Amino acid sequence: MKKSLLTLAVMFMWITVTSANDPAYEAAMQKQIKAMNSITDLETSQQVTNGFLRISDAKSDEWLPLYYAAYNQIISSFRFDVNKDQYFDQALELISKASQMAPDNSEVTALHGFAIMGKLSVDPASRGQELSPKAMQLFDKAINLDRENPRAVTLMAQMELGMAQFFGSGPEKACGMARMGLDLFKKEAAKTTEDYILPTWGKSQAQEVAAKCD
Amino acid sequence: MSLALGQCTISGKVMDEKSQALPGVNVFIKGSFDGSSSSVDGSFELKTAIQGNQTLVFQFLGFKTQEIEIICDQEIVSVPDVHLIEIITEMNSVTISAGAMQASDQSKSVILKPLDIVTTPSAMGDIMGAFQTLPGTSTVGNDGRLFVRGGDASEVGIYIDGMKVGNAYGTTTGNVPTRTRFNPNLFKGTFFSTGGYSAEYGQALSSALALNTKDLSIRSQGDLSLMSVGGGYSHTLANEEHSITGSINYFNLGPYQGLIKQDIDFVKAPKGWDVEMAAQKKTSKNGLLKVMARTESGGMSLWQPLPGSENKILIDLKNNYSYLQANWSSALKNDWTIFTGISYSNNLDNISYDSLNVERSNELTHLKATVIKDFSDRLSGKFGMEHFIHPFSEKSVKEKLRRAFEDHETYLFTEWDYYFNKDLVLRTGLRAGTSSVSGESWLDPRISFAHQVGKNGQLSLAAGRFHQLPIENYRVLNTDLQNSESEHLILNYLLSKEGYTFRAESFYKSYDNLVTFKGTEESPEVLSNGGSGYARGFDFFFRDRRTFKDTDYWVTYSFVDSKRRFNQYKTQVHPGFAPKHNLSVVIKRFIAPLKSQLGFSMTYNDGYTYTDPNVDASEMNAKTKSFQNLSLSWSYLPKPHLIIHLACSNVLGRENVFGYTFSREANSQGTYESIPQGQVAPRFLFLGIFLTLSKDKTANNLNNL
Repeated sequence: MKKSLLTLAVMFMWITVTSANDPAYEAAMQKQIKAMNSITDLETSQQVTNGFLRISDAKSDEWLPLYYAAYNQIISSFRFDVNKDQYFDQALELISKASQMAPDNSEVTALHGFAIMGKLSVDPASRGQELSPKAMQLFDKAINLDRENPRAVTLMAQMELGMAQFFGSGPEKACGMARMGLDLFKKEAAKTTEDYILPTWGKSQAQEVAAKCD
Repeated sequence: MSLALGQCTISGKVMDEKSQALPGVNVFIKGSFDGSSSSVDGSFELKTAIQGNQTLVFQFLGFKTQEIEIICDQEIVSVPDVHLIEIITEMNSVTISAGAMQASDQSKSVILKPLDIVTTPSAMGDIMGAFQTLPGTSTVGNDGRLFVRGGDASEVGIYIDGMKVGNAYGTTTGNVPTRTRFNPNLFKGTFFSTGGYSAEYGQALSSALALNTKDLSIRSQGDLSLMSVGGGYSHTLANEEHSITGSINYFNLGPYQGLIKQDIDFVKAPKGWDVEMAAQKKTSKNGLLKVMARTESGGMSLWQPLPGSENKILIDLKNNYSYLQANWSSALKNDWTIFTGISYSNNLDNISYDSLNVERSNELTHLKATVIKDFSDRLSGKFGMEHFIHPFSEKSVKEKLRRAFEDHETYLFTEWDYYFNKDLVLRTGLRAGTSSVSGESWLDPRISFAHQVGKNGQLSLAAGRFHQLPIENYRVLNTDLQNSESEHLILNYLLSKEGYTFRAESFYKSYDNLVTFKGTEESPEVLSNGGSGYARGFDFFFRDRRTFKDTDYWVTYSFVDSKRRFNQYKTQVHPGFAPKHNLSVVIKRFIAPLKSQLGFSMTYNDGYTYTDPNVDASEMNAKTKSFQNLSLSWSYLPKPHLIIHLACSNVLGRENVFGYTFSREANSQGTYESIPQGQVAPRFLFLGIFLTLSKDKTANNLNNL
């Protein structure tokens, strides 16, 4: 019995290891990421989300397709005229699935905070009290999980800027974090290759915050 | 034809239940990356190199996933039309809005937000003050409690986390308005119903007000408040599994009243203290245990003038109150949800009218358990059981006379929600109760339904029967008193678009077996269930957060036509607590450069009826002049963790009168002399400084606005 359990465990490990190096999976991901970067309207955005969900369905042990599906839903609701709450809720559902597969993953945690920030933006006056500390805590956790994660730092900078604007205080803290984010993006760019499929987005957001500092 | 090139093209069309095209549906072959999305007309086409028997999956967020078997053995495979079934959720389906007003951050039909309770100027931080700006309510300024649609204040049942709160208002006397004992910051949301409510609630003829306490606190912090009438400190410790908040408050109106002249002749200004503890603990992924305990003590004493006399009576009041509750809720396997709770309140009043000293003790223990089963996304059933232990006693201390009763009440209830589709829901409920003291059993059926009209509107209808035992002061005099009874019929229309809410409602309610007696309210005799009456009317509510930038306002108008025979009245009269025309306007504006929120609220009603023996011998033959109150507030946020709040009620200093007390006997000229029942002071001025102390720099003080 013990032995068969061990075999099973080894088999599982083998499956996870191979799937990470599955060329069909990587090619499909690269194709969808490329499509995501050229979204022009809501229809193509929906196609991209669907694409990631298909990959997730076929590769049910990968968190990355769910991550991108959620990310695309968040970005879409900022870009297009949709029922924002519904989109953010869908994103949160996908993120919760992703975080079950990859607990304590810095990228997933940062994206979770991003979705919460989206919910907050729908009605800041009444949701701010509950959601702004929640988002901050998630960004904080994401940074602690991976100090090199430029997205966690950038999102935190965005949040700090929003708070500073609301309370009319100076943007110094937000600026410092945005600059830190930009440095981390530089580091990240150095290691990315053509077929890199892990998240790389967020540089323009960091630049936007940094632009407020001159 | 065989598959020559090894490629197969699958095409078809996806629609919803009503055969409307569904664009954006994810269509793919199970276990592969091959797939496509349906286009605007619902059609799809996908190419695959996979052959043989395959499963085609149709997946769309918010819809049930559907799978069909196909055989890829030809170049072109056409599949028959697919109809996806939408999953019914709280967010996309119609909700029953007849009589109901929800204050929450999540609800789609926003009437009131939790934050509004503390930012409405006329409310002065009191929960009931904010609800008095909503449709179906009237302001009775020298009372402070909530009066709903021609009902008296005792007809509103108040619940915290589903558990009944005994003596939810502070005890008061001599026309000094009362307040709710509980701090609005304790609650994350409220559910306020002005009629036709769920079978979960009973012992309330007019209204149910359910307050839901906050879940886990998200961070540790300290909150310090310094006010013109007192101060307090509260401290919260929190982690991801549990949190606990302890607070202590003291208030004393003495120094304030020393500066600003009052119309009531206070000997000892109202003062008091309270200590409170609230704790939350996660018991599992979906389980939460909440415990709350509070104890407080307060009092006042004042001279009450007597009409037609130079004499005054000295009234002295001391109150001690404790409230304890614990509840646990959890989602279980197979879509079962369970809730269990226990609450206990103990109220002790010691009141002296001159030499008469009365002590009243009221205790209420409430045990409750409910289970909910979601049979599908369309059908859910709720079953519940409640038991109340309710001892009450009053004694005159010097004479050593005592009278008391101890009631045991048991209730069973069930409620079923059925969604025909996401646009039509039916709710049926049944509540059964027994009381050991009144010796009766009763059954209350309730029914309501809601139907979506157009894209943003919905129509609801609710009807039901409601029972309530008379107030303790009367029951103790005649323990044979039975339930009073009311039947409600409510028609509601609600329109909610992003930034706007419009609500119109009309209602009819009947009253039977109301308590009547001989003598006066202070010393009733020969009590019986001889009264009856009705209330009917309509109300409108409009809220707009969109038209004017940074500005949020709402306007409410309620019309109530009510007549009832109750208390000492021998005929059906228009009760003094039910003004006919009620209007209120609340405006809030955030001014970023000033870091300030300004608030404005105006309340109007056409006056209160009273009996003037100088006119004729009939009852309720006169009406006061109209009630008007304009209140302003200014909240200044210089830093995220600091708020300075300044508010003034009745800025214009209007001398509102709520009725008159007449002398028992006519004077030598043959007239009955009178004293108006007015306000404690023309204006009330409030200044408060709220400071949040936390290591976490994100902590802000918005919750103390």
